Parts: sequence; C-alpha cells; structure tokens
Amino acid sequence: MIEWLTATNHKKIGILYIVSTLAFFVVASLLAGLIRAQLARPENTLLDAHQYNQVFTLHGTAMIFLVIAPFGIGLANYLVPLQIGAPDMAFPRLNAIGVWLFILGGLTVFAGLAAYGGAAAAGWTAYAPLSELTEGTGAGQDLWFVGLLLVSVSTILTSINLLVTIFLFRAPGMTMWRIPIFTWEIAATAVLVLMAFPPLAAVFAMVLIDRHLGGHFFDPAYGGNPILYQHLFWFFGHPEVYVMILPYFGIVTEIVATFSRKPVFGYVGMVLSAFAIAGLSLGVWAHHMFTTGAVSNPFFAAVSFLIAIPTGVKFVNWIGTMWKGSIELSTAMLFCIGFMLNFLIGGITGVMIASPPIDYAAHDTYFIVQHFHYTIGGGSMFALFGALFFWFPKIFGVRLDERMGKWTFALLFAGFNATFLPMAFMGLEGMARRVYTYPPIGHLALLNGIASFGALVMGVGTALFFINVVAAVRRRVPVPPNPWDGYSLEWLTASPPPEFNFHELPPIRSRIPAWDR
Amino acid sequence: MKTFVGLFAASALFGIALAVAYWFVAHEEATGAALLGCMAAALVFTAGYAVVAERSADLDGDDPNEPLERVAGEELGIFTTRSAWPILVASCSLLTLAGTLWSPALAVAAGIALILCCWRLGAESARV
Ligand SMILES: [Cu+2]
Repeated sequence: MIEWLTATNHKKIGILYIVSTLAFFVVASLLAGLIRAQLARPENTLLDAHQYNQVFTLHGTAMIFLVIAPFGIGLANYLVPLQIGAPDMAFPRLNAIGVWLFILGGLTVFAGLAAYGGAAAAGWTAYAPLSELTEGTGAGQDLWFVGLLLVSVSTILTSINLLVTIFLFRAPGMTMWRIPIFTWEIAATAVLVLMAFPPLAAVFAMVLIDRHLGGHFFDPAYGGNPILYQHLFWFFGHPEVYVMILPYFGIVTEIVATFSRKPVFGYVGMVLSAFAIAGLSLGVWAHHMFTTGAVSNPFFAAVSFLIAIPTGVKFVNWIGTMWKGSIELSTAMLFCIGFMLNFLIGGITGVMIASPPIDYAAHDTYFIVQHFHYTIGGGSMFALFGALFFWFPKIFGVRLDERMGKWTFALLFAGFNATFLPMAFMGLEGMARRVYTYPPIGHLALLNGIASFGALVMGVGTALFFINVVAAVRRRVPVPPNPWDGYSLEWLTASPPPEFNFHELPPIRSRIPAWDR
Repeated sequence: MKTFVGLFAASALFGIALAVAYWFVAHEEATGAALLGCMAAALVFTAGYAVVAERSADLDGDDPNEPLERVAGEELGIFTTRSAWPILVASCSLLTLAGTLWSPALAVAAGIALILCCWRLGAESARV
C-alpha cells in the first residue's frame, strides 16, 4: 500500500493511472446505464429531473476528464520511456504529483454526491451563469470545479514532463524521426494541452471567484458576460476532444502496423498530420457557439472543415499499412478496425455539423449526442480496449483470453451501434439533449427502446472484459517479452519490464528495432 | 536545425498566421482575438527559447549512428523510486483550495503545509 502511495517510477504511476481511470470508467458506465434506463420509455419516472441532471453531468464529466483523456496520458506515462529507451520520466516526483492531483480531483468531483443538494448538475460544460446559481444547491457544484481545477493542473504538469522526456531522454540512436507514432502523437497532445488547459484552469478559478469571493465575471447584472465563459471554456473544450483522440490515433497506428506485419505506412505524414490536427483544433472553438450569434460563423466553419484533411491522411495511412500486409485479426486489431468504422461515422457527422446552417437545426439535439459518442465512444473507447488487449501482457505480465476478447468486441460493437445510431434519428425528430424525459411522439419511443437495449448489450460486453481481466490475473501464465511480434522498443524487454526498463539497450538503427534483429 | 526547434518554430508561425487571419475576419470579437494573440505570443516565446536551448543540446539520441557503449541510464543520473512528498503536495493543494472557499483557517494551515512539502520535495530531489 505505502509502496504505491509513494511510488515515483513511471511504470507504477502508469498503472495507477490505468487502474484509477478504469475504476472511474465503471462508475461512469453505470451512470450511463441509469440514463438509458430512465429514457427507455417515454414519460418514465425512474429518475426525477434534478437526479437526471446530476447523473448525465457526472457521466459526461467522468468519461471526459477522468477516463478517456487521462487514460491516454497514463498509458503514455507507462509506454513513452519504454518506447524511446529511457530509464524513467524526466521528473519522477512531478509525475507522482500529477497522478495524485488527478485521483484526488476525480474523487472530489464525486464527493459532491454526498453534499447537501446533490452533486454538480450543470452538464460537463458547466456554463455560467447556470453553474453560478447558489440558491437551493449545496457544495456539489463547488466540488466539481475544485476537483477539475486539480485535474487540469495535473494534466499540464504531466504534459511538460512528457515533452521533456521525449525531447531529451531518447536512447542512443533513437532520433526524433525514429520514435514510434504513439510517442509522436503524445508529443502533439502535450503541446496541445499546454495551449488549451491554462484557459480552462483560469475559467474555473473565475467561476469560483464569482461563487465565493464576490466576483461578477459572468453576471450580466453587474456588467459581466456569459459569452466570455463559453469562449474560455471552448478554447479548451475543442482541443480537449483532440487530447481525447490523438493518443488513440497513436494506439491504433501501433496495433495496425504490428498485426499487419508491416512498418507504418506514411510515417512522416502521420507525424505532420498529428501536429496539423493539433494546430487547427486551436482555431475552431466557437463552432460550439454558432447559435449564439456572437461569433464569426464563416471563420470557424472554414477552419473546422480543414481538420478533415489531416484526419483523412491518417485513414489513408492506416489503410496503406494494412494494404497487402499479412493481417492477423487479434482482439486488439478487431478493436482498431471497429475504431476506424465508428470514427468514420463520427468524423463525417462532424463535418456535417461544422456547417452552420445544419448546426442551427442540430444544435442541442440528440444528433450532437450521436456525433460525439461516435468519436469518443466508438473511437477513443474502442482504441482504449484495443490498447488494453495489446499492452496488457507487457504491463501486467499475463495475457487476456483472446476468445473472450473477441466476444467482448462483438458485444461492444453491436451494442454501441444499436445505442448511438438511433440517436441520429432522434435528433432529426427534434429530441433535445439533456432532458430527463420525452413525450411518446413520432418514433421516439421505438428509437429510445433500441438505444437502451444496445446499452444493455454494451454492459454485458464490458462485464465480460472485467471477468477476462480477473481470470487472466488468477491464471498467472507468464508471457514472453514479445508475445505479438511487435516492432518497437518496449517489446525487447521483459514483461513486465525491470525497474529501469532495460538491463541492456538493444542497438537502434531504424524505426523497427525489434524487427531488425 | 534540431527537430524540436523546427517543431516549435513551425508552431509559432502557425499561431501567428491563425491570429492574423482571425484578426482580419473577426477583430470586432475581442475575446477570441485576445486568446489567439496570447497563444501566438506563448508559441513565439517557446520557439525563441528552443533556438537558444539548441546551442547546449548535444544529445546521444539525435545521432543516428551513436554507438551503444554509453548506455542510457548511466549518464542520465540515478532515478528515485519512491518519495512521500508528491502525494502530500497533492493533498495539501486540495485542502488549500477547499479552505479558500470554505474556511480561511484551513486555507492558511494547508497553504503553509503545502509550502513546507514543496520545500522538502525540492531538498530531496537535490540529493537523489
Ligand atoms: Cu469542437
């Protein structure tokens, strides 16, 4: 216990991130189950309006801030030093501060459930002045801001640490243009965090000043401006969706290349497209504000469309990597193929709603809910499972069962599409997001019924995954250093690796050191 | 030019281009112009620092044919494997923030503890 509380080794900290994000994932998934149970029938009374607001707020907050984004960063914590041949991260103690700020911050958000008036209920975006209402509510919303302020500081610290490690701690021969794509994507993510997270920390601090110290930043009655909140929040919020996808692009690239038995196709294009996506994503924030009428819609629409180009480059490169490769359909590879199919739908609906005329109709409907779940859920979460199946033997020294894994994939893929594809049609029929119930008009009852059934199937798939983990840990069958015949440096050391990663560094003369042997 | 310098220089040029484009299209919207202006300035600062830092950055990892005699880990120094201070720093940060909102006495006490923990962490990291 004390060993884990005081650990500073990057692998222990990586495991702390992975285990805590999976714990938050279970809670956030159960909250999603509550949402789908409430919405399974029209005019349902399982939850009342205020309970429902808390449930969807905590679900979104946890999935975004406590699962998808930190899992990518936590996996980077584990893998980046191994992939570049470093003994640890550049600043081990800073790394430990980061993980504890993250865990304490996440627990603080959920501590709101015990507060008078319940947990935060203003949505994951916590728009002011809604989130500044103090009447009739207790400390739940305050704890939300305090917790996420700590999480944002943690993310900034870890990003600095990752950048320094990647730039300065590479092993002899591991030039920048030889590091694996996953590490490159993490470098782009870290730069993006450093641009986008300071405004988030600032805006959360401003709301706390308004709520407790007599400020009026966002209060129009005293000359404040609610649109200012939206600007500062989305200047972080849009880049955040790329903080939640770039690491997963890296994961998919590594897995696809390994199971196609071919080096990454278009390596340089992969790197440049990652930075192009990161750069462009800093100029699109107000596409979330088209309907306010307070921003330049043509500017933000144009820059948003441009992001489709580097994203398309990635798709071409993944297909190019698979092209004429000897593809092995392992569980990890299946999750990556699922990622590509789902993310394509998420990306294309994203291009649709980047067009202001369409967004005016789709804004705040279930069409938007469908869109971002296809990117974060069907995209990032599928790659997250792919990463778990792929690197589990390296990290924990035991292998997950492939047959159960393929069942998990099938259940999650079918369940995911059954849950979220109907939401596009709910949106077209005008169903608004964030409402706790709906009338039995049009096809809403049928579509919601299908969505809730899909969620149940996903729940079974997720449960099967955790059964798989428990069974694998109990079996304790040791694995060789390179069970998948991977090409990058982490596969050339023991599973799990020794304290400082390599007893003896292998020669690095190309981008595929393990295949050079 | 080293890769990281080129990376930050290109980012700075991109930041400037984005801010200028925004200014031409939508300068009447002051918040976005200010945000992009600050971002461009930060990137220019970083790129400038990268240019200066390049002079003293002579890394084994940048030489494609660097022999392995000097294995990483030796010249990088010894790494610590445990420290009690990081979790204490994180806990004191949380208490300081909570104290600022609800209890000035807690804020002062936790703030002092935070400074002490940071100081001990710094002293410890100077040794190992
Ligand atoms: Cu966006």
